[in-house]
Amino acid sequence: TMLPLLLLLLPAAHGIAEVGPRPALTREQLEGVTTASTFVLDQPRCTFKDFGDAVIWLVVALDKDASKFNNSAGPGTPETAFQRFPGAVSAYMTLNATLGSYPCPKPAGDITVLRVGSETSCAGDESRPTCNGPLPGPGPYRVKFLALEGSVPVAETAWSMPITLRTAKSPSSIPAAGSGHSAGMIAITAILSILLAILLAALVAMLVFCGSDSCGSSTFSKPESVTVRRYNTHHVYDQRAARL
Amino acid sequence: MAKSDDCVHILQGLLVFGNVVIGMCGIALTAECIYVVSNPHGAYPLLKATENSDIHAAAWIGIFVGLALFALSILGIIAVIKASRTLLLVYIILMLITFAFEMASSITAATHQDSLTPNVFMKQMLERYQKSEPNNNSDNELTKTWDELMRQNHCCGVNGPSDWQEYTSAFRSTHSDADYPWPRACCVLDAKGLPVNLDGCKLGVSGYYNSNGCYDAISGPVNAHAWGVAWFGFAILCWTFCVLLGTMFYWSGIEY
Repeated sequence: TMLPLLLLLLPAAHGIAEVGPRPALTREQLEGVTTASTFVLDQPRCTFKDFGDAVIWLVVALDKDASKFNNSAGPGTPETAFQRFPGAVSAYMTLNATLGSYPCPKPAGDITVLRVGSETSCAGDESRPTCNGPLPGPGPYRVKFLALEGSVPVAETAWSMPITLRTAKSPSSIPAAGSGHSAGMIAITAILSILLAILLAALVAMLVFCGSDSCGSSTFSKPESVTVRRYNTHHVYDQRAARL
Repeated sequence: MAKSDDCVHILQGLLVFGNVVIGMCGIALTAECIYVVSNPHGAYPLLKATENSDIHAAAWIGIFVGLALFALSILGIIAVIKASRTLLLVYIILMLITFAFEMASSITAATHQDSLTPNVFMKQMLERYQKSEPNNNSDNELTKTWDELMRQNHCCGVNGPSDWQEYTSAFRSTHSDADYPWPRACCVLDAKGLPVNLDGCKLGVSGYYNSNGCYDAISGPVNAHAWGVAWFGFAILCWTFCVLLGTMFYWSGIEY
């Protein structure tokens, strides 16, 4: 509750108009809204339309240092240099533009965004303190737009909500090759094992029961040919031998 | 008597028909496995890099099993027609051995297919794509394969461009996040191979970058091969099971 009160008092004290809306991450469907070192804001169209002569700057600060920023700090000075952020300076100023860059109203269908952190070439160049360099950490950061006429601040937006960038994990945290077995593989293994077991059992049964030729005769044999043999019955004996 | 003669002839006919089918399926299995072995798809270097080439082992076994099935089916037809107990016994035992080998091939192919999860490819891609000091040729090949894959299939990463943001990688250590949130191959490229709109690609504006993951493009052909070997082998084995049971019944009924 102190912060909004302070923000209300500050403009009243220094004659700065507070304009809205506050800066925010773009609502456009972009894959790179936040990356590890950049984020994307909506352009401040129609925000500063009453300040035609002003140059509009973006102030970037860490969340915890936002309230310490002094609006009378000049851009392009060592106190607001990107290269000394966040160690020596608590906030830097970048992305300056005149109102002509932000025509009002925004044409429907256009993507009007600002990418904070896109300039890599000047990131280490101390002679370019207003470089829009990649952010040094995941934040959280807060930003606001500040309109200066000459070196006098005339309008500002409120500080944005804290913006946190993405943190990348190490690939060794990816779980190693999954060991899940699909239903198909389990079905194949189970069914084939059962079939092989049945076949082996049938082979064993076949060899044990029918190996010694006890199965051969029932189904497929030819019918046995009947042989008739002459019998000599015992009671036909030589009658002459019995009379002697 | 006439009835049991008819039964014999029907059984013989069925067994001959069964063996003919096995012979033809054996040739088809051989042809299919030769195709799998000799026709690597575009993502083959990725598979090689996972050091998991079970599918090739399964396919090589399949080639020889197919030829064995064809030879054994001819033996089986001769044995059934001659009603010779020894020949049939030899046939049954050799078929059982072939059955076991084909079973191994089929299960191996199915297991291999299961082991190729997206995580396997993602880990490999993050650790080796555009590695600055390539250890060996396979890293260079991997990078080239991924670039080809991403350009031809209009895809990025394994699950999407966010792979490059969510994890650190060998690529990230040489290319700054602000300039290359994802590799240039993920951008929509013109005829010369340059991004159509580089800022749009870096921002992630749809239409200027590839938002799909490449996993489908990789796993599609691999899965097709693995399924072909695994399930066709399984089908052949089910049919062979029936024919073998019939042959055993026929053997047990033959007069010695």
